[in-house]
Amino acid sequence: MLSSGEGAPISEDEALARLRQTADPSQQYYGAWWLGRMRSTHPDAVPLLQQALRQRRPRDVGAGVEENAVARNAARALGKLDPAARVAIPDLLATLNDDDDGLREAAARALGELRATEAVASLCARLASGPSGAGAQRSDSPRLVEPCEALLEALGDIGVASAEVVAVVEPFTAHERPLIRSAAARALLQLSGEARWSSVLVELLEHPQLQVRRAALMDLGAAGWRPALEPIARTLAENSLKLIALRGLVEQGQGEPEIPALLACMDSLL
Amino acid sequence: MNAAVNSALNASPSNASVAELIAAVQRADSSQGLLMATQALVRAGDPAAAPTLVEVLGFNNPGAAVTAVDGLIALGPAAVEPLLQLDPENYGARAWAVRALAGIGDVRGLDLLVDALGGDVAASVRRAAAKGLGSLRLSELPANEQARIQSCCLEALLAASRDGEWVVRYAVVVGLEGLAEGLTANTSALAALRHGLAQLQEPSADNPPVVQHRALLALERLPSP
Repeated sequence: MLSSGEGAPISEDEALARLRQTADPSQQYYGAWWLGRMRSTHPDAVPLLQQALRQRRPRDVGAGVEENAVARNAARALGKLDPAARVAIPDLLATLNDDDDGLREAAARALGELRATEAVASLCARLASGPSGAGAQRSDSPRLVEPCEALLEALGDIGVASAEVVAVVEPFTAHERPLIRSAAARALLQLSGEARWSSVLVELLEHPQLQVRRAALMDLGAAGWRPALEPIARTLAENSLKLIALRGLVEQGQGEPEIPALLACMDSLL
Repeated sequence: MNAAVNSALNASPSNASVAELIAAVQRADSSQGLLMATQALVRAGDPAAAPTLVEVLGFNNPGAAVTAVDGLIALGPAAVEPLLQLDPENYGARAWAVRALAGIGDVRGLDLLVDALGGDVAASVRRAAAKGLGSLRLSELPANEQARIQSCCLEALLAASRDGEWVVRYAVVVGLEGLAEGLTANTSALAALRHGLAQLQEPSADNPPVVQHRALLALERLPSP
């Protein structure tokens, strides 16, 4: 079964063996997921994941399996294996040019998690055509030409605040889709620390769609924007997500309100 | 919304009987209608509403369930029996019931909270149970009964301090801090509790800073040994 959820507990050796064999891709998929989830430090983990990242396989519609499922999970796992996975940054950079936009998305997120400054130029190049190019809806699906949300978030996470990066990101704050505006504002808030970008996110906390409110919560948390404590507490969304956002304010943020006030709010949401 | 709900909602609380408000909840035929009828029933603050509010927990309507949980917590001990009578197979309703029991703090909820903390699949339910185990109201009970319940809570919370989800461990810290307030005379239990908090305060790759911060704060608030 292709499940990223909890299976029967397996050992690290078992996970490595499942990834190493090539007869059953669903076992490789699970092995790759396990190594990332458990943050394996085994010396074979990263080389096997690099190999799996090259595996291509068309989408299996009947089984509901995504295209290049093993490669996508390998990319996701590599993102969680900092610093050992830094040797795989060139592989992930190459994957950023793959035809499969879902795989590009997973690679971008992994590069963001690895804080790969080497990736900034490639990420910017993918976004350079702006909201009407990279951000246009594809003719054959509701997806955008590029996985803009992941690309923007990666630029924010990597944190190279050059004028060039800001110039690429800023037009996306006017994208027609609120989730893209949220990702762009998050990145700009991380890069510049300017309060005007936080107001974009705070406004989205009151968006009529729950999915958008959730994204804005996560984005304020990722940016660690502590002045958003009160609006976060008031947002109509699950306490689980508010707690994750507030954890971000504690761990990524600084200044007022101080940590005890943030923790008191978290206590009240349990 | 149907006419019955409308008439019940438009009536002032003193005019609408609890029976009418209950009927309005049971007759609600839309998500928004159920939410408004539940709010009206909660506002009545009548213990007779408890069984109906417990039913709402099983309607798969999160907005109405949140309202019903708040209403059940406000009713306090009067809501406990209907909550305990919930069908354990009705998973969704049971998750909300754990939150309500955690908020009420009645000792009759002890077993259900211990079970939920140790075995529920949802982190949100385990986290509510952990907080609840630290805030049971014990002051009216005989001393030996208090000690027995406190030791149950302590054991369950310490076991859950190894939970795989950070948010559950965070709630365990809050639960331990609450439990400590009633343990002032029990030095061995306090020592075990302090040891548990000290472990949760340790920096490690699997234990995020927010849990460490909260455990440090709880340690600072403990009575000195």
